Amino acid sequence: MAESRRVAVTGLGVSCAIGTDVESFSASLFAGRGGIARLRSLDTSEMKVGIGGEVEPDFVASGLKRLRRRPTDRAVDLGIVTAAQALEDAGLIDGAPPYEPQPVAVILGTAVGAAESNTTLQQRFAERGVRGLRPTSVPRVMDNAISGGISIHFRLTGANFVVISACTSATNAMGTAYRMVRHGYADTVLTGGADGFFDPFYYGVWNNLGVMSKNPDPARACRPFDAGRDGCVLGEGAGMLVFESWERARGRGARIRGEILGYGESSDASHITSPSAEGQAAAMRAALTSAGIEPADLGAVNAHGTATLANDVCESGSICAVLGDAAEEAPVSANKSYFGHTLGASGAIESIAALLGIEQGRLPSNLNLENPDPECRVRLVGGVPEPLERPFVMKNSFGFGGSNGVLVLGLGE
Amino acid sequence: MDADGTADVLVRLRDVLRDSAVEEHDWDAVEAETPIESLGFDSLTILDVLYDVEEEFGIALDPKQVVKTRTVGEIITLLQQNGA
Repeated sequence: MAESRRVAVTGLGVSCAIGTDVESFSASLFAGRGGIARLRSLDTSEMKVGIGGEVEPDFVASGLKRLRRRPTDRAVDLGIVTAAQALEDAGLIDGAPPYEPQPVAVILGTAVGAAESNTTLQQRFAERGVRGLRPTSVPRVMDNAISGGISIHFRLTGANFVVISACTSATNAMGTAYRMVRHGYADTVLTGGADGFFDPFYYGVWNNLGVMSKNPDPARACRPFDAGRDGCVLGEGAGMLVFESWERARGRGARIRGEILGYGESSDASHITSPSAEGQAAAMRAALTSAGIEPADLGAVNAHGTATLANDVCESGSICAVLGDAAEEAPVSANKSYFGHTLGASGAIESIAALLGIEQGRLPSNLNLENPDPECRVRLVGGVPEPLERPFVMKNSFGFGGSNGVLVLGLGE
Repeated sequence: MDADGTADVLVRLRDVLRDSAVEEHDWDAVEAETPIESLGFDSLTILDVLYDVEEEFGIALDPKQVVKTRTVGEIITLLQQNGA
């Protein structure tokens, strides 16, 4: 194996239902303000479910205007505007184009990819056949439109690709980015994830899968680890992080906002949608080994916590199996009750939440956790923020297809 | 409207260009002498302009002729030569 370097986080950008920059996101998270509501951008009158976590209406339009871009696709646009935040936070760009080329890789996760473009073209194809397909349909619908668009717009000349592994996508992407920096294949990587899928087709397929909460009260619908939970709530958004070698970050005087300490991954190799505690535990153990820390060192676990019946019980079991007695001392928080399940962006947005918690020495409350499920035997953060006793947080992500990815995050000092 | 309809074609073409573009511009300031390249179109994205021109004007332009155009006015001329 090549050299082993420390990996700093030097830039953050986020957009989701509770905030469209790091400051507003952090303020909502630690004030216990959720953003789940009835969907404004989609007619769900024929669906069983009609709620979700939407990004505030003007965010993308105003962000694109600032970047001098026209809209292309919801996920791509969310990704580009949010990437600008992270790159500016890292001091790698300053405002609007033109930009100078720089050797930064772009490695992003997405579960659905260019959903809006796909749906639009499917509708046009159904109506008009092949004549309904624009000449630029291929670059519009390809799954790496997000990383490609960001690389081109900001002139980032390192590797550029997406990782697709359903709800683990962003965490797998960040793990890949971490290894590239750690082992010297890249000095700087823009990583994270983006998904935007509030359109009739993609929301419709989730509606028919039957795993979404039917709770009539949007604000109380997403209830990770609560006995009254009845499913997940979808959210759109993007989380972007700049990973950089510690030496380079220090050398250029960058503000270090956290450290990626380790990463582990596994596959359940069992069922396409049902989780496996063994598979999840294997990824957690690999992440802790990679980070070189013991379970007792962990200050908290940022759970995948989808609020489905199956996930939360399974994840609780796998956390207890890995942490043993230390599980009592590592409170579990789950952030999806605030902004929904952002699928391929979730690992990135929730890692940002974890990094902000490490930076601020506290854990956000578990929104809507009123009656903890006795089958979930982990120690859960309650209804108010708690101090974070040790600055090491394990971030879990698990996806359909059996993909598990786990990061260990630490303080940037 | 001017006698040959150029101003009307320009207004409709501005909308086509805006809807096909990746970069944002002041579309109201686009005039006949505006270079196509300055609007961010390249050999790929100009194909979308061709497609949208056909949708808007009902005229199929020859791609070989369109890729030779350098200004918005030259596209207008092509459109008018084809009946716009």
